[in-house]
Amino acid sequence: MSLTREVTGSGGLSTVPPPAVTRRRRRAAETRAGYAFLTPWLLGFFALTAGPMLASLYLAFTNYNLFSSPEWIGLDNFRLMFDDPRFIQSAKVTGIYVLVGTPVKLAAALAVAMLLNNTRRGQGLYRSVFYAPSLIGASVSIAIVWKAMFIDQGIVDRIGQQLGISWGGWVGNPSMTMPMFVLLTVWQFGAPMVIFLAGLKQVPAELYEAAAVDGAGPVRKFLKITLPMLSPVLFFNLLLETIHSFQIFASAFIISGGTGGPAGSTLFYTLYLYQRGFVDFRMGYASAMAWVLVLVVGIITFVFFKTSKSWVHYSGETK
Amino acid sequence: MNRFTLKAVGLAAAAALTLTACAGGGDDPAAEPDPTTGGDDTTPVTITFTWWGNDDRASRYEESLALFTEEYPHITVQTSFQDFPNYWTARATEAASRSLPDVMQFDLSYLREYSENGHLADLSTHIGNEIDLSGFDDALVQSGVLEGQQVGIPTSTNTLALFYNPGLLEQTGVEAPAEDYTWEDYNEFLAAVSDAGETTPDGQAIYGGADYTNTFWFFLQWLVQEGVTPFNDDGTFGFDESHMSDFLALTTDLREAGQVYPVDRGIQLLPLGGFTVNESASEFSWDNFLAGYTADSGTEDIQMLPVPTGSGGDKAMFFKPSMLLSSGANTEHPEAAATLIDFLLTDPEVGAIFGTSKGVPADQAQRDAMVLEEGSIDATVVEYEDAVAEHVTEPVPVPVKGFGSIEAEYKRLAEELAYGTVTIEQFVDSWFAEAAMMTQ
Repeated sequence: MSLTREVTGSGGLSTVPPPAVTRRRRRAAETRAGYAFLTPWLLGFFALTAGPMLASLYLAFTNYNLFSSPEWIGLDNFRLMFDDPRFIQSAKVTGIYVLVGTPVKLAAALAVAMLLNNTRRGQGLYRSVFYAPSLIGASVSIAIVWKAMFIDQGIVDRIGQQLGISWGGWVGNPSMTMPMFVLLTVWQFGAPMVIFLAGLKQVPAELYEAAAVDGAGPVRKFLKITLPMLSPVLFFNLLLETIHSFQIFASAFIISGGTGGPAGSTLFYTLYLYQRGFVDFRMGYASAMAWVLVLVVGIITFVFFKTSKSWVHYSGETK
Repeated sequence: MNRFTLKAVGLAAAAALTLTACAGGGDDPAAEPDPTTGGDDTTPVTITFTWWGNDDRASRYEESLALFTEEYPHITVQTSFQDFPNYWTARATEAASRSLPDVMQFDLSYLREYSENGHLADLSTHIGNEIDLSGFDDALVQSGVLEGQQVGIPTSTNTLALFYNPGLLEQTGVEAPAEDYTWEDYNEFLAAVSDAGETTPDGQAIYGGADYTNTFWFFLQWLVQEGVTPFNDDGTFGFDESHMSDFLALTTDLREAGQVYPVDRGIQLLPLGGFTVNESASEFSWDNFLAGYTADSGTEDIQMLPVPTGSGGDKAMFFKPSMLLSSGANTEHPEAAATLIDFLLTDPEVGAIFGTSKGVPADQAQRDAMVLEEGSIDATVVEYEDAVAEHVTEPVPVPVKGFGSIEAEYKRLAEELAYGTVTIEQFVDSWFAEAAMMTQ
């Protein structure tokens, strides 16, 4: 909205204001043209996103197995969910993943961004190299490679043996699968790193110089200058990565062969949703799960925005 | 970056990501069209045919379909295939949109679910016309009849078998079980092999075998031996919690002593297993797995034994009709579909192409057409089915609706039991709770 205002405003500045009627007519034509350009997107949105979403909202209140027509059962799906030990398990697994994976990934991204922030030769190359895993990290092939690395006698097991730790293959060990997935997500720190880097570039150097004159050390500079100045970017990354973490599916599907095993330790929420829908053919239950996820992510986003006032500082803002 | 842009982009991104979460999932069941050359007949038709299986099976089907096209040039067959789990995902979505293939490979586990909702065509009108079942055992044909409708016709039969690796047994110095062995004898065998302390050339420990209570069909085999009919005609179970607890308890000691193949290693080897990497000396499975075992393990010498004798003193084995061929009720070319089904079921050359890779062929002419070289895989499987015929005294348990799901649930819980994250009691409670939902 602010964008439109700015554009029309600046356009108005450069020319002599035309008579009111012509201007209104031209604006109406522009609006029409705007919607015309949007048509492909709107079609896609209504046919491929909004339509199926509404259908799934309806199905969430039904018993639907794909074979016979849906049967209305009210809130039963939602009630069943909270008595379903596997649902609880999937919520737990996903919760741990979000709570551990997201902060660690952001910390890694910020650390690397700060290292890359200094001007040095070949920094473009470094940035590209560190960003590369993000481009391929979500792919099927990386999940397969990851599994091969963490299997019995895989590279990680061998490194462990060199160090005198016999942790064996992580893939088959229920208590080691979560660290394996956290490492996979941390390794893909490229996207938040680039955003952090852009944020760091905007922190005025005078602030650091002034702090140095006052005798502040690197830790103090980081806590008192870098973090507050970076808080809008941090907020953005935190929100994005949290939501992203809730959606882990492909890597979990491939590494566990679609089962969520061993012993339910990789039963991520979306994987369980998929199992209920496409293995057990309980589309009603799966739809209900999808809406619970939307609700939870919505609430978390809302809480983030509400609390952001107290810790996110926008430059030029008076407190 | 100013406050508005960041917030707006953040919100938009949040919305977009959440939305894709709901829309995602599901493998693309898109067919790999392989138009075998069509003819110039006056009424050319195109039908679709799909199956589950590996590349080996695909090339055998392609070879068979080339023969089909020679004989019926006016019928073009478009083929596609998936692995077993994805196969059922794709079929379920097709069923929902009433666009099932004209001909498809079908499994007993899912037959009831699809036929109950009228998704499968009744083939009985074609029997005697396009489809000639004169070379079939009548009981086997009947296994594809549900509520008076012939919704599928089996291609072949399977029965359970114990496979063992004589080479590994020689290394460990343990004798293979005698033919009249019991479940207790088999337990002792497993413990003896595992306790021998031998290792493979790679340094991996050699085990007697996997925990056999981890597979639903073995439970059903055991129930039949106990004189229990697993599934009643009305869709209820003939067994209860105590039966399942008793069966799972058979291997409790072995599990606790670590004398069965370790589950964490088994999981990492998937899709192979302890038996196919020559670290496990024996395994129960369907008898048509021999070809796959030989190919995967590289071990030429794999021997077969019937299942253990039950407490009643007999083995009470059954032949499971397998690889049924069915036709979607929505087919627009029922005659062409029936023609293809007949060709695949009864053509001798097709029988020779497939051998026993789908089980021993149901049709007499196809059985006779197989080239059984002494000591070959096909010969071993056929000999095995002939040899155990005297033990096959029971009809196959006819799966209830939702069978595929309760079977998968059993397997999942068995994995947890092996890891020790559930007790037998929790296993049984969870399974019955889940089964009550699945079969309603």
